[in-house]
Amino acid sequence: MAEISDLFWAIPTGLRLTIEIVFTVLVLLGCFAYVTYAERKVLGAIQLRQGPITVGPFGLLQPIADGLKLLSKETIIPAGANRVLFVLAPMVMLTLALISWAVIPFSANAVFANINVGVLYLFAVSSLGVYGVIMAGWSSNSKYSFLGAMRSAAQMVSYEVSMGLVIVTQLLIVGSLNLTEIVEHRSPVWLWILQLPMLVIFFISALAETNRAPFDLPEGESELVGGFNTEYSSMTFALFFIAEYLNMILMSAITAVLFLGGYLPPFGLMIAPLTWIPGILWFALKVAFLLFVFIWVRGTVPRYRYDQLMRLGWKIFLPFSLIWVLVIAGTLMATGMLPVRS
Amino acid sequence: MPKLKIDNVEIEVEAGTSILQAAEQLGVEVPRFCYHERMSVPANCRMCLVELKGSPKPVASCAMPCGDNMEVFTDSDLTRKARKGVMEMLLINHPLDCPICDQGGECDLQDQALGYGFDRGRFAENKRAVQDKYMGPLIKTIMTRCIHCTRCIRFCDEIAGVSALGAMGRSEHMEIGTYIEAAIGSELSGNLADVCPVGALTHKPYAYTARPWELRKTDSIDVMDAVGSNIRVDARGAEVMRVLPRLNEDVNEEWLADKSRWAVDGLTKRRLDRPFARKDGKLQPVSWSDAVALAGAKLKQAGAKSAAIVGDLVDAESILALKDLMTGLGSSKLECRQSGEKFDPSQRAGWLFNPTIAGLEQADVVLIVGSNPRWEAPLIDARLRKRERALGLKVAVIGPKPNLTYPVEHLGTGADVLQAIADGTHPFAQVLKSAQRPVLLLGSGATERDDGLAVHALARRAAEANGVVKDGWNGFAFLHRAAARVGALELGFAQRDGDLETLYRGCESGEIELVYLLGADEIDTSRLGRAFVIYQGHHGDVGAHRADLILAGAAWTEKHGTYVNTEGRAQLARQASFPPGEAREDWKILRAVSEPAGATLPYDTLGAVRKRLSLQAACFANVDRVTPASWASFGRDGAVAATPFVLPIDNYYMTDPVSRASPTMAACVREILEGDTEEAKKKTGTHG
Amino acid sequence: MATNSLATTVRGFFLVELVRGFAMTLRYMFRPRATINYPFEKGPISPRFRGEHALRRYANGEERCIACKLCEAVCPAQAITIEAEPREDGSRRTTRYDIDMTKCIYCGLCQEACPVDAIVEGPNFEFAVETREELYYDKAKLLANGDRWEAALAHNLAADAPYR
Repeated sequence: MAEISDLFWAIPTGLRLTIEIVFTVLVLLGCFAYVTYAERKVLGAIQLRQGPITVGPFGLLQPIADGLKLLSKETIIPAGANRVLFVLAPMVMLTLALISWAVIPFSANAVFANINVGVLYLFAVSSLGVYGVIMAGWSSNSKYSFLGAMRSAAQMVSYEVSMGLVIVTQLLIVGSLNLTEIVEHRSPVWLWILQLPMLVIFFISALAETNRAPFDLPEGESELVGGFNTEYSSMTFALFFIAEYLNMILMSAITAVLFLGGYLPPFGLMIAPLTWIPGILWFALKVAFLLFVFIWVRGTVPRYRYDQLMRLGWKIFLPFSLIWVLVIAGTLMATGMLPVRS
Repeated sequence: MPKLKIDNVEIEVEAGTSILQAAEQLGVEVPRFCYHERMSVPANCRMCLVELKGSPKPVASCAMPCGDNMEVFTDSDLTRKARKGVMEMLLINHPLDCPICDQGGECDLQDQALGYGFDRGRFAENKRAVQDKYMGPLIKTIMTRCIHCTRCIRFCDEIAGVSALGAMGRSEHMEIGTYIEAAIGSELSGNLADVCPVGALTHKPYAYTARPWELRKTDSIDVMDAVGSNIRVDARGAEVMRVLPRLNEDVNEEWLADKSRWAVDGLTKRRLDRPFARKDGKLQPVSWSDAVALAGAKLKQAGAKSAAIVGDLVDAESILALKDLMTGLGSSKLECRQSGEKFDPSQRAGWLFNPTIAGLEQADVVLIVGSNPRWEAPLIDARLRKRERALGLKVAVIGPKPNLTYPVEHLGTGADVLQAIADGTHPFAQVLKSAQRPVLLLGSGATERDDGLAVHALARRAAEANGVVKDGWNGFAFLHRAAARVGALELGFAQRDGDLETLYRGCESGEIELVYLLGADEIDTSRLGRAFVIYQGHHGDVGAHRADLILAGAAWTEKHGTYVNTEGRAQLARQASFPPGEAREDWKILRAVSEPAGATLPYDTLGAVRKRLSLQAACFANVDRVTPASWASFGRDGAVAATPFVLPIDNYYMTDPVSRASPTMAACVREILEGDTEEAKKKTGTHG
Repeated sequence: MATNSLATTVRGFFLVELVRGFAMTLRYMFRPRATINYPFEKGPISPRFRGEHALRRYANGEERCIACKLCEAVCPAQAITIEAEPREDGSRRTTRYDIDMTKCIYCGLCQEACPVDAIVEGPNFEFAVETREELYYDKAKLLANGDRWEAALAHNLAADAPYR
């Protein structure tokens, strides 16, 4: 074993990184595939249905069949579309969904770029996602696409504000923008409980950020046909689809990293049997649980109306998280736990 | 004038009116099966029971005359109970086979069972079954359904005048039958199925083919004879399924002759559905544009050397169009008397049925000359019988003695008898002179001989000399056989100084280069010489065989048309279905042909044609009514040969292209005229 | 009222209803499935089920339909076309019995109207085809259906008979 790992480390850094990245991307794509499968299964279960059962045992090959189907379809570019932007938009979306993973710590030391402004990087990249959506909606030259894109953009921008404030509270506690440090940080239980509402707000905002139910208005079928990707077909559509689910996984990962202790055992229980389990597995379990919650929400809550969505974002989440920043800051000041660095 | 109360409404009626009739005057419907207003009253169905105040039991309203101060209740509990009882009794032996019964949907028993029927049967015993009877090719019998109303027996006895039907056995064993198994030898036998209130007698050609609710009903006029019977054409899709009579007291009452009723199935056979032109001695299909162009060119070339003959089934619109076309070409060789009649077309009174059909009911003496009204116009014959039965009528016949439905005195066969009557030397002249309203019925066939014009004049003299024509009464009745004839005569479509023979001679001598046959099929085509023949019509018959160019036209059910009956009564026939294939309405074809012929007709719509029609002759402006003719001299006096008159129809069931193509009419000929039935064939040897 | 609104606020603040909803969907996840694996498993069908049409025959092979045209008359979609004439033996039979299955609304009025139980709507609902033309059923097709499903049809009619 030692020889193999030595061999691995002997590979030049550039090539090694490339292999690692390719491997990670492949794993993520596999995850994407089975998240779609899990979503159909869980929704089926909630609705007393079976979900996919025909392709492969328990329908396990269904995602592959779906992928093949999308591959074999014709790519249609509408007559009035801006061809360059139309083709570019799904690529932008997928790229943005992938590059965020550079700063996510899968395990202790297992992170591509352990930079000290990781949170800022994540924020920057996720903000760029709006461009992909707007490009897709505008270049399609279709009113449905455009309306869907406008809604999507408005929604993503709105919820990023409160998301930012939630992160600020966590940063106040940790005192660092480095994600590994955030994971490793220990805070007392009472502080953790005080931070719980922020977790809820963050998660709900994550739903809105990824355009998931109950905030999936951009693709409100009843009024917009299919949202910003109405005109897309075949692989161009598949790229949007992949990007959406990768964003979901990413948001779960960020939530796990920020609030749930990332690759550490749950609740900071550094006791014997739990510590035996590798950190990457803990991380995966936490992400999986959050993904399940994503799907669970979709199976439970009906879609919001657009004005309700905006009201929730601007009139409830924003003031509440602002107040909570003060509360956390005040508490930290009062208890002297404010991480001050020179 | 008894005064009575029906359902608390007071009414005064003429003496002798039955309660049922009085109720009808008030608009109160009384159910009935056996009662029929044109027949005698047997009062044997008991369905019309009503409650009469003071009477211990309900009375049959059809047979109970109205009396003073009667109080009748037609919808009381007693009445309803009585009718329900009657209905239950009727249904005891009536099979519930409505789903396979052709009367289903238009059945009196079905309708009235809805009002008075019980919802289940209480008769547990076996129903009776009756063997079906053979009644000819037109009447299908399912005698188990019979409810013994005896309407059919009374129709045969009283209206048709053939005692073919009777009831045998009593009570439950009573059966309606023909005594001897034979087709019913009446030209009105189709009406039996109409008068039958149930499905015992139905129309054989119509058997199982359609339901009344599927049929598109169109009011029309019959063209099989010159009576102009009012009919209703029932069509499904493109096919005419049946023809039913429409009530018109002045013309056909509510009856219809068998040929008029069932010749329509000839409309699907031997049809001309596209234009043909003769190439290399054979008729070959051509397009309409080619056909019209060819017809136009030939007409233009022939110009005044063209002639036109109009057939028996043509509507007045087409005749007018043809006349205008011929006039435009400068030709006056127009002829409608295609059977070779030689009467004088100049005076209307000379070729109209002046006393009118309804007027026959006032006649007291009728002299029939050279005609068999039973075959030439069955409904006129039925009128004569009606008059004869009601008040007695003296009928005399000159010519071959026809088998009529009332007693006749046979005066002789030749024109010399008519001559004697005109001269007053014959004893019958006195009978005519002493009559109040005498009628001289001259058949069109009587003029189909070389001295026809003189016969026409002789008949006029006989009428004038014996008081047939006097103030307030014109008894000179000219009986036509063709529906188109009077319309054509009204439009002047006949040569004043010539007849069909003149045209034949013209053709043979080459004076006539082109003959336009508009549905003319009764002519002798071998005498058309080398003339170019254009045939416009709907059936491939005599005319089409000789034609050099065929223009496919529409039959009378397929176009809007005006027909003038033998009385001079113009009536409108409406389109019931569409011409087959590429065939077109006739006046439109003529309008199309007139353009390349260089005599463009000045009308493009049916309205415009009708407007011109009404300007041409008064009768077309006076639709549905008789336009009377003023008496004037007609015919040319001359020597009349004593040769016997010849009856023009030797086969009632086949007189025109449609009836000749009709399988039903062929069956009638076989089974009624020739007595050749399946049943008759079986009876050999020991059957005697 | 004050307490009520206070309670409402508190409940809203702690997302009580949301949690209740989540609990319910979670509970449902572990319930038995209500669906069946359709092409391989099939649910029970009522004897009154109105599926594909069939023309039945009598036991001796004689077709039941007597061309009364009541089904044609009652059909609200006018999907039935019948033409009839006397057969050689003189009985009343159809020469044409067409049902346009694309027009049919499967209301069952035709079988209600039929006096001889000839036209029936059988238990078969799996007659999807690839072209419209195949859905224009003629007499031969309907009689073939009747022969094929006769056992089921007779059973269904018998089962439903007591309620008629």
